Amino acid sequence: MTDAIEFRRNTAPWWGLLFALASMGCNAAFFLTPPGQGAIVWVSLLLAVMALIFLIAGLRLVIVHPKVYRGKILSVVVSVIAVLLAGLSIFGFVSTRKLPSAAEAPQVGQRVPDFTLADTSGKPVSLDQLLAASSTNQAPAAKGVLLIFYRGYW
Amino acid sequence: MRPVAISVDPPEVSRNLANKSGYTFPILSDPDAAVIRRYHILHPAGAPDEHDIARPAEFLVDSSKTVRWANFTEDVRVRARADEMLAAAKQLH
Repeated sequence: MTDAIEFRRNTAPWWGLLFALASMGCNAAFFLTPPGQGAIVWVSLLLAVMALIFLIAGLRLVIVHPKVYRGKILSVVVSVIAVLLAGLSIFGFVSTRKLPSAAEAPQVGQRVPDFTLADTSGKPVSLDQLLAASSTNQAPAAKGVLLIFYRGYW
Repeated sequence: MRPVAISVDPPEVSRNLANKSGYTFPILSDPDAAVIRRYHILHPAGAPDEHDIARPAEFLVDSSKTVRWANFTEDVRVRARADEMLAAAKQLH
């Protein structure tokens, strides 16, 4: 037999906010290039998903037990902020992976195409020249170049 | 084994990057992404101003122009670090 219904605090939005902030924090850590960068990408996604789980749980509590978990303005504000942060984090995760497939690029064992491109002083440099230059002062087995294609716009 | 960096950035921009970061290896310019296309690593309209650029890719190429090691990141935030690349190069010799 229930007497007065006890008002309980809905902690779920606060947990949601905490996880959403942690997820965004992981995103910020990228620019510090820590080791295990690959893992942190997934950690930040996991934290964002945890945030959304808490927010959905909080919402469910309010809907199912409206008299116990009365919606307070602060809870609503916290929930909205947390949803936006978690959403932003997930959007960031999805958009940085929108890279074209490299399936047609030269794979291990294949030969790479020749090229001649300008260096920083505008002088044309060919792949043959680069390979020839790499073999001086080194054992023959150490000949080679590491071609690093990067996005640019830095 | 020598690193060579390639992007669509013009030589002046690459020169600034080299000076700022103290890089001594060649940095080459592929402004219309012709070589990038030849290597099938084009990222169409991937730049902030919708310019065609390269998707990140690293190739360790030996004297016969054969690829010995390649890295194609799935996420622009995760890049092979210089020390990882050099470690891969050392293992192949």
